[in-house]
Amino acid sequence: MRPANCALRALTVMCLLLGLRATNAFGQAEKARARSAGPHATSSADANGAINVQQKDLLQKPVAGNWPSYNGDYTGARYSSLTQITPGNVGRLTAQWVFHPRVVSPLEVTPVVVAGIMFVTSANDAYALDAKTGNVLWHHVRAVSPGLIDDPGQHHNRGVAILGTRLYMETDNAHLLCLDARSGHLLWEVAYATSNKNYGATSVPLIVKDKVVVGISGGDDGVRGFLAAFDAETGEEKWRFWTIPGPGEKGNESWPGDAYLHGGGATWMPGTYDPDLNTLYWGTGNPAPDYDGSVRPGDDLYTSCLLALDPDTGMLKWYFQFTPHNLYDYDAVQTPVLVNTSLKDQQRKLIVTANRNGFLYILDRTNGKFLFGRSFVDTQNWAKGLDGNGRPISAGLIPDEKGERVCPANGGATNWYSPSYNPATHIFYFRSFEACALIQSNTRPFAEGQAYYASGIRTTGETGKSNINAFDLDTLDFVWRSLQFGRNKGWGGVMSTATGLVAFGDDAQNFVVVDGRTGKSLWHFHVGQSVHASPMSYAVDARQYLAIAAGGDVFSFALP
Amino acid sequence: MAPRAAPFLLFAPLLLFSFMVRDGRAQESDTGQGAQRFMEYCAGCHGADAKGGDKAPSLLSPGSTIHRSDSELFHIVRDGTQGGMPPFAQIGDANIRAVLQFLRKLENNTPAKSVSAEIAVTGDADLGRALYFGRAQCSQCHLMQGKGGFIASSLTHYGRNRAADEILKAITTPDTPLTPSSQVVTVTTSTGQRLTGVLRNEDNFNLELQSEDGRYHFLARSDAKDVHYTEHSLMPRDYATRLSAKELNDIVSFLIVSSRNPPPEKVGTR
Repeated sequence: MRPANCALRALTVMCLLLGLRATNAFGQAEKARARSAGPHATSSADANGAINVQQKDLLQKPVAGNWPSYNGDYTGARYSSLTQITPGNVGRLTAQWVFHPRVVSPLEVTPVVVAGIMFVTSANDAYALDAKTGNVLWHHVRAVSPGLIDDPGQHHNRGVAILGTRLYMETDNAHLLCLDARSGHLLWEVAYATSNKNYGATSVPLIVKDKVVVGISGGDDGVRGFLAAFDAETGEEKWRFWTIPGPGEKGNESWPGDAYLHGGGATWMPGTYDPDLNTLYWGTGNPAPDYDGSVRPGDDLYTSCLLALDPDTGMLKWYFQFTPHNLYDYDAVQTPVLVNTSLKDQQRKLIVTANRNGFLYILDRTNGKFLFGRSFVDTQNWAKGLDGNGRPISAGLIPDEKGERVCPANGGATNWYSPSYNPATHIFYFRSFEACALIQSNTRPFAEGQAYYASGIRTTGETGKSNINAFDLDTLDFVWRSLQFGRNKGWGGVMSTATGLVAFGDDAQNFVVVDGRTGKSLWHFHVGQSVHASPMSYAVDARQYLAIAAGGDVFSFALP
Repeated sequence: MAPRAAPFLLFAPLLLFSFMVRDGRAQESDTGQGAQRFMEYCAGCHGADAKGGDKAPSLLSPGSTIHRSDSELFHIVRDGTQGGMPPFAQIGDANIRAVLQFLRKLENNTPAKSVSAEIAVTGDADLGRALYFGRAQCSQCHLMQGKGGFIASSLTHYGRNRAADEILKAITTPDTPLTPSSQVVTVTTSTGQRLTGVLRNEDNFNLELQSEDGRYHFLARSDAKDVHYTEHSLMPRDYATRLSAKELNDIVSFLIVSSRNPPPEKVGTR
């Protein structure tokens, strides 16, 4: 029970009474038991079944019993302060339940847990589950949308955002839905990307204060990227930031004629938010067409960028472009993790991000200034390095009809799967992938209903390899790199915990927990399906759980 | 786009709508035919709900029907697969097409045919609206187009494809049949405490209740001394006497009319 929440609703006394009564009545206090999920896991707050997410819940960092948004907290660290599961006991971790939603494509959702209730999505369906049992409390049914192409046509969905008693999600055809989180019933919906049939959405909204911020997919299909913010109460649009500048705007010189309408720069992963700096950080995708740069001269702003926006107005504060004039499909939507630590003996507010282009970047998040960068793959040939401002020095590889061998491959040296940062050890964890591709290009016009890569990919015949990486922000070097074995290229992100654990789905359909200091494997469970999602942790009744979506199922684990 | 609240894979409604009167004579609709042929030829392996069985996979999973073209699927059904599915050329092209049409219906989760246009509305829907949100107190529990409560079902699409007398019956004699996830139960714990709520889910080990304030209560069945199943939902059972026949008809009319007129779609600025 959350007295403060109740006070906000002018129900303090009643709320407390109800809370005490329910706790006594059902023995949850007793069972909250000798066991403790950690210093921050207050069982009564986490297990009361009352959905009412307040700003303070969203602002809490690091997260504890609740995991109230996609990345846990606003920093994107995907770090849990729960301490019940330790390197010493994780070997006894046991599957608690499996939930099978109706499925049209591998789940990419990270569950959100509030007050003992888990919320997951599968395509356009949403579910509320008893987080202790996996039993369904409600199911919001919505068919997939016909006629979509490419990523939205796969109907991926990454989950929900919650504010108050309301739940927000995106649909495959880029509608923002507002559901009553207590019942799953639709309160309102907004079709927020209607000017081009190739728009879609696969991501998850981010709540910032009283607004719901959403992005779009379709950056490989010639849409014009944007971020939009809607009033969480009414659904009224409050601002929209176009990632491709229109005529007369700065950066439009890359987009002759109506090219800006098809320039990509999709916003297909959630960003992060610094309440102290009142800044929203959001990555943008590749320019379109992906491989044909001849129709988009110059840097192609604001594709392959990190944007820093005022969340109240959508005004751009600064940007940092990782891959100017990107010809290789290097999106920059990987989570920009907010880190406060000392860098080179100076305490700083940083952004740490491993980019799809093969470089790891550290930026000053107050102004976007480049502070550090280095390649994190062995095989990288598209850039000769980074200059003093972090701008890549191009190696001049230009795809043509014959094909150009480019490393990293178009799928990137890392991708949307989540990184994690442990603030206690200053270690940044992320998955990487080494591969090369023959990228082919030719010029062709944009057409609705068709992807807009302007040619494609052929294999080079070289074998790729995956690593889970631990990068130390104190030494600016790797603590360890763990080569992954298996026949299924992993799409699983990582998370870390206050007991130094790191969890992820590996390349062989296992959910794995390793020691974050050494990378040594401590426990694994064969989920029997490839993991295309990032894990999370939560607590109910003072018991810590680790959960992950794998293939078409959601799994939850805890100590016996 | 109006959200679709129709339940997934309900064969009963599909079959119900499969015999429609066309041109004055009863004729099997294509989807009805497809459903029948599916049960006859496909369900044995793929399951009655098409979600898969012991011998064959789900047809509603990744890489199955949803991602294949009609002609691709047609050839799979007609010629079989190397994976072991036998050919079904013998049932004829028309039957194969009917089955495919049925599978598309399942994917799209849409009722086979809307009959709402054929349902007569005899009451005053405006007066019905006033009652719904006012004296009849329907909106305290039921959502209608984004307005109303959460503890009972959303009625935004309820009137679609339902006849007036069916809706009237649901109002005046509720709980026939009782929806399991709407049943009110009272749990008495081993310490004598009582909690009453709507039983959202249960199994041999757990009870998941929601009280009227919206809060969920997660109970171990082993902690319960007694679980009293009321066999009722929260729906009042006295509407037949609380409201006049005209008032009831007005509410029924409101439910039908509102389901035909979903709220205008909100569109972003561009």
